Formats: sequence, structure tokens, C-alpha cells
Amino acid sequence: MKVISSICPGCSIGCGLYLAESKDGEANKMRVLHRKNAAVNEGKLCKFGTQLHTYYEREALNDTVDGSEVEQKEAIKEAKGRLKGMKPDELAFVALPGTVTNEEIVSLVALASEFGCENISFGLERFFRGIPEEARYIIEKGLPFSEVEKASRIILLFVDPFVHYPLLARRVLKAKKKGAKVVEVSFAKNERGIADETVLVEPVGLERIKEKKDLFEDSLIIGELTPYTDLQFFELMLWLNASTSSRLFLLKPFLNSTGAFLPGGNSKRRKDLFEIIDGIERGEIKALYLLETDLAGAMLGDERVTKTVSKLDLLIEQNAFRTPLSSTADITISSEPFFMKRGTIVNIEGRVLEVGGQSEKGLQITESMGKGRTYEEVHEEVKRKLGLAEISEFELAVKRKERSFEMAEPKVEIEERKGGEGYFLWYKTNPFFWNNGIQSKNFVEISPAAMRKLGLFRGDEVVIVQGERKGRMGFKISELPDYLILSESKMSIKPFEGLIAKVEMRRRDCETTQEKINC
Amino acid sequence: MSRCYLAWAKDERIREKGADGGFVTATLVSALETGFIDIALVVAKKSVYEGIPVLTSNPEVVKECAGSLHGAPINLTKYVVEYAAEKRIGLPTKPCDARGIIEQAKRRQVNLDNIFMIGLNCGGTLHPLRMREMAADFYGLDPDSVVKEEIKEGKIFLVSKEAGGKEKETAIKIDELEQKGYGRRDACKSCVTKIPTSSDLACGNWGVPKGEEKKTFVEVLTAKGEAILKNAIDSGYVCIEEAPGEGIEMRRKIEAGMQKLAESWKERIDEVNALSRSGRFDFYVDALKNCIHCGACKEVCPVCACEKEAKCLDMNDERDSYAISMYNVLRIFHLMDSCIHCGQCEDVCPVDIPLTLIQRRFSERMQRHLGYTPGMSVDEKPPLYETELRWNAESMMK
Repeated sequence: MKVISSICPGCSIGCGLYLAESKDGEANKMRVLHRKNAAVNEGKLCKFGTQLHTYYEREALNDTVDGSEVEQKEAIKEAKGRLKGMKPDELAFVALPGTVTNEEIVSLVALASEFGCENISFGLERFFRGIPEEARYIIEKGLPFSEVEKASRIILLFVDPFVHYPLLARRVLKAKKKGAKVVEVSFAKNERGIADETVLVEPVGLERIKEKKDLFEDSLIIGELTPYTDLQFFELMLWLNASTSSRLFLLKPFLNSTGAFLPGGNSKRRKDLFEIIDGIERGEIKALYLLETDLAGAMLGDERVTKTVSKLDLLIEQNAFRTPLSSTADITISSEPFFMKRGTIVNIEGRVLEVGGQSEKGLQITESMGKGRTYEEVHEEVKRKLGLAEISEFELAVKRKERSFEMAEPKVEIEERKGGEGYFLWYKTNPFFWNNGIQSKNFVEISPAAMRKLGLFRGDEVVIVQGERKGRMGFKISELPDYLILSESKMSIKPFEGLIAKVEMRRRDCETTQEKINC
Repeated sequence: MSRCYLAWAKDERIREKGADGGFVTATLVSALETGFIDIALVVAKKSVYEGIPVLTSNPEVVKECAGSLHGAPINLTKYVVEYAAEKRIGLPTKPCDARGIIEQAKRRQVNLDNIFMIGLNCGGTLHPLRMREMAADFYGLDPDSVVKEEIKEGKIFLVSKEAGGKEKETAIKIDELEQKGYGRRDACKSCVTKIPTSSDLACGNWGVPKGEEKKTFVEVLTAKGEAILKNAIDSGYVCIEEAPGEGIEMRRKIEAGMQKLAESWKERIDEVNALSRSGRFDFYVDALKNCIHCGACKEVCPVCACEKEAKCLDMNDERDSYAISMYNVLRIFHLMDSCIHCGQCEDVCPVDIPLTLIQRRFSERMQRHLGYTPGMSVDEKPPLYETELRWNAESMMK
């Protein structure tokens, strides 16, 4: 029984855990054990963490060139050669930093610069643009959870800690126990009643949050920043922070989001994930290098991504596991699963954590195409960039200093949100949502009024429709506004920015004879 | 009548490294060396705050793992079930490890004939992160400088490495620490099973006379215990002598004193007791509504043998909108006769539900009513053991 210490890649919290090999010693079968000495989570894990073994049990990626299996060095040589044949502006590198180490990030940035390419995305670049320089720290750095526990007033801004970031929930509960007042600003009341006060906002009325500005005074605002966050809403969060005596703590879905923008650096000229996708759509970007990124899986409306990516002249995928894009990739290069990696990440609190493995395979793939450095050399660069002498999970190595900045009052209005019949579908994101490969909930939450309107009974299913897109789900009755549908699972429904979408919903009728009998 | 000895490892290195004369380590090493067992399950010390279970057939690995580790509150039951159910295995067992294994044997998940439980008397374990905080806040130490810990004479001793490599020992009374919310885990504070009488041997320093600290007081509890001890003596790994009468008495007194303290902790910890009837209901709802259904409490439960085919999973539907889910209700009732109150569920609960307290409030009353203490004897079947009830019903119908 081999037991290794590792980190959960489910979100930016970075919970510590052990992985033990299965009793039969099968290579890709393992068991998750609780590491009670983990500074981040004390051995506690959410559902994603407790089921992490299934995440690692996915099909491994092979080394291929144009669909034929090859030796890895041949795949690397071919990738390097083909990348060299492209103009810098035609290239793009994407690494959604869920399972990417700081060392791999530094190496990827160096590789992109070898090709003179600035189109490199870690998923959140666009948020750096158009904001005051002094506000950048809010995107780059989070806060230690001890600050959540110490807060006297917490605003949960469209964040349900039990769902979005389950290991945050206990910190908010601890703060509450110490006397903190918790206020939630949301489309729906939290079903667990974590908040002392709820400010309900309609999807068409986000602008009205500004009228409640006083609510945010002297508080710790907890929000979320994902590739889908509405830019205007992001500006609203910053404005609320800038114009009140509050602190803004933004959690992120990808484990090493902090590491991506500190050692990885960020230039305002870099293209954002969506801009890269648009660039591919327009034929400006012709080659894409995906590092440990299941692009179709992490993005909603993934068939559009697959279709867009098919326009590329060159798709290179470096990953431990197969993704929906693997079969269309020109070159696939196999790396090691995250738990096997030698390297570090920075969690949302600012702790630099060692991943726990010993393999340098992934790093050496990018280094062999780029500068050819050793792990130690790259690691030293990471330490230099982070200002680290040594690494300890018990130290908050990356600290943030609150700064004041000024923001013009933003307008929050998106035409698509306005008026009309039907429902709003709100995706309540969670670690399952961003990390394909593990099954999540197969139902949506709807209001009692919606249930009555559609004539639903227990066991029925609903069909959620958005143009030609359809999703079929079970349902749960929750205390929601009549127009709201909540989903913790991904459907083929594409949200516009802000993870909310205008949809129609109807009772699923049994279409075939057999289905009618079963009904 | 069981027999009591003072015992120690012949090998001086093992004797030195072991907590109380290295008897437990030497016994496991001899059992492996002689083929008496196939495999040993021990806890490898990464630091005073972290231990990792290791299954090994290598005696050298067992020697490396010698010594106590109160800052690693692990229950070994599920490791035996998962990895060594069909092997002849030896392992050190705290009372809650032994009780978990006994309960699994009743559920036919392990064969007790193959398991040699070298029991360890246990005053309790500490949560590693609370221990780190304790080292910093109460002992004034850099937590990373602590290299050794020990619980004896009602105190927690921490040994730290000072500048220049010198070791310094600091001790604070457990009572003093626990009044301030530190010290042992709540489950341990209120645990009354201090000597693992359901193991094959029960070992510890209680009853070892002053001046003979590098010896272990060993009580032989079963024929298997006698056999593994004999194997250790015959193969030249262990020396024994009769335990003195005053040692036996001293041990009994220590156990009784600790049990009395545990009973008083039960009262102090039980915040629900002081609540009104409706207040109690609110307490349960408030605590259990936070459940996120991660399943960790079931996964780590040393008594649960249901795996994925479990009523608490089958009958739970997250589409139901009850504040307390069927998962929690069924687990509470399912474990009423069998919960050993080890606290593993609470340790891993991501939303800090006081599961040990809640379960104890239901199960202790039920266990008292049924006159049944789980995990103490393999011959006593759980009174609510459904398979057994079904068998009884079927035999009555014949």
C-alpha cells in the first residue's frame, strides 16, 4: 500500500489529501484518504475531493502525430517543428491552471516567448484590462481563510459557499459562531440559511445592487471570478470595494490561478481565453497549444468549442488524460497525472504548496521545446518570482496588501438579460462543474410555482430549451423566485456572461411508446 | 484470568526508539521475521503531527515506525478491511482500532483469526493542527521545532530542538490545556475505553513501576495474544517478567481515574443537554442541514461495512427538500447500536457538523438500553443487526 501526499485540483483552495494505491495495486485505481495535518483543510474534503480517485481514473492520453501513435520524443520534435512554422500572431497557448504547476507555467511562458507569441491565456486575462493598476492585486491574490474567520461582517456576493467552494463554508460558519453578520446578495436565498440577511436581486436588476452600497461598508465581500464572470459585474464588485471600507476576496475555479498570474506574469497585451477562441473563429489564430486543459470540458456549450477548434491548422494537446478534443488534435503529448508531478502551486490563501509527486515529465516536454532547463533551474525562477526562501504549507508566502483605488461607477446592463417570458437558468458552479470526468447532480432546482405551472410530479423530468439547445433533467423544489432555475451540473445550455441564461422550460413528455409505458 | 507482565525489546535500538521499551515494535518485528504474520500495519511518522499508515512485510520498516504518535488520529480498521482482509496481519491497536476491527469481524469483512491486535492503552489523541497551535500558543514553541511528544502523568510533554541541536522538554497539565479548548480531541476526552481489552494484548506504561520506564506493561487477553508473545520471546526479541502486584493496582487506578474524567467530559461536551426539547430539535436541524453529502463520514467510519450498497445512500435523494436528509437520519439510526464514538466522522466533516456528539446522544442511550457495548467482543452480535434479526425471524417461522 503506497500512500502519497497530494493536493486536490478541484478549485483554488488546494486541499491536502493522501492518495493510496488500491488493494490490487492497479496503476490507475486509487483511494482518497484524509490528511488531517493539511494546513489548508485539516483533512476535510468536499464531495469532489472524496471522489478524486475517479478523476484520476480517466483514460490516459497517448503520444500521437496526425492520429498515429509515436514515441514521445517524436511527438515533441514534430510539435516544435510545426510551431516554428507558424507566425507568432497565429499561435496561442492556453493553460487553464487546474493541474498546472508554477514551474510548468513559467516554462510555458518561456516557451511562448521563444516563439515570440503573446497569445497566452490562463483564463482570466481580460479582467486585468480597464481597471486601475492598484486594483490588480484583487485578481492576483486572495486572502487567508483566517481572515474570513475573523471578519465581523461577510457579504456573500452570488456565492453559495456550500456549493461553489464547499471548504469555504466552514470558515464562514466559524466567523458566524464568533459573532459575524453574514449577508447574502443573490438571485435566491441560500437553502441552508447561512445568511442573517438576504438581499434578493433579479437577473435584470443587477444595477440595483449599487443602491445598496451601504450594505458593503466594513465588510469582507466574498465573490467569485471565473472565465465566465460578467465584465460589468466584475467592475461592479471592484467599485463596491473601492467606494466602501470593504475588502474583496475573489475565489477562482482553477487550483493554481494565483500561481498563474504571479510567477506566470501578466501583460495587458495578452489575449484572453474568449479572445483566443474568437481569434480562431475569425481565422487569425491558426495554431493552439493546450497545456493540461480540457477546453471543451471546462467551457460551456462545448460543441461550439469543438467546432471552432476544428478550424485550426494545428492543435497540440499536452495532457495526462484524453479530452473531447484529443481525437481532433494534430499532435498529442502525454504528461503525468497531477498527483505525480514534482512542482508547486499557490492556493487562494497565498500558501505555496508542493504537489507531492516526483515526475518532471510535463515540465520537460515544454522545456525540451524551449529553453531546455532543469527542474531545479525553473523552480529557482519560481522561488525568485514569488520571493520565497523555503516552502512550507504553514506559511502564507504570498501576502496581499490592501490598497485603495478609484473606480468610476460602472453601468451594469446587458441587453440579453432584459424582459421577455420564460426562465433564467443560473449555473451554480462547483468543482465538478469545471473538472470534467466525474458525474454530478442530475437535477435542477425550480420554484414551487414553476412546478405547479408545468404540472410536474415527483419523478418527472423537465426539458430546458435555449433555441436549438436542449437539456433534460430531474428537478428539486426549492425556495426560489418563480423565474429561476438553478443547476449545479453542466448542460448544453450556453450562458451569456455571468453564468446565467434565458431559457424556456417544459415538462418532459414521453415521446416513444416505450417511454409512455414507463411513464 | 489474564496474565500481566513487564516486557521490553532485547534489541537496544528498538528499546530506545520505542515509547515504553519497544515491546510492541519488537513483537511485530519478530512476528514478521519468523513468518508468524504475513504483514504488519504500522504508522510511519512524518513529523510529530503526521503519520501515514504503512502496510509492510519488511521488519526494518516496522523498526523505523517505533514510538508513539498522539498527533496522528488515524483509525486503522478500514486499512485492514481494504488491504489485508485475507492476510495474517499484526498491528498496534488503540481501543477504537480494536473495536472497529471487532465490529468489522461481526460483519464478516475480516477474519479475526488472522488478525493479531497488539493493543495500546490510550488516554487520547490530538488533532495535529490543534497541536501545532497548542505548541505555539501555550508552549511558546515554533511548532516545527517539536520533535517528540508524550502524554504521561496527566501532562502533555513536548520536546523541541533548540538552536545548537539541544533538546528541551516542556510539559503542561492536560486539564489546563483542555479547559482552554486544546489538548485531546473531543471524542477522546469522553472515551471511557482506555485499555483495549478487545485486543489480543494490551500494552502501555500504566503500571510500570518508577525507575523501570523502559518497560511495557503487557496484559495477555487472548490465546492469540499469548501465541504472538510466545513467538516474540522464543525468537529472542522480547524479555518479560511478572508484573508486580502494585503495578497491576496502579494501572487499574489510572484506568478508573481516566474513565471518571471521561464521564465528566461527556457531560461538559454535551451542549445539547441543557437545551429544551424544541431547542434540541433546532440544534439537530441547524447542524445537519449543512451536510453537503460528500460521504466522507461513511467512508471513514470504522464500523460501517455497507460500501456503496447502503441504505443511507439508496434511500437518500438529494431532490428531497428536507433540512435533515435521509442520509443523515439513516446513518444515525443505522449506527445506534454500533457506533464506537471514535470521532473519525467529525474529523473529516467538511462543514464541521458535531457528528460524534449527535451520534453519541442517540447511540449511547440505545446501547445502554440494550446492554450492549460495541467492539468489545466478537461473540456479541449487534442487537439491531438486521441480518441476524432476519435469520431469527426465519428460524422462528420454521
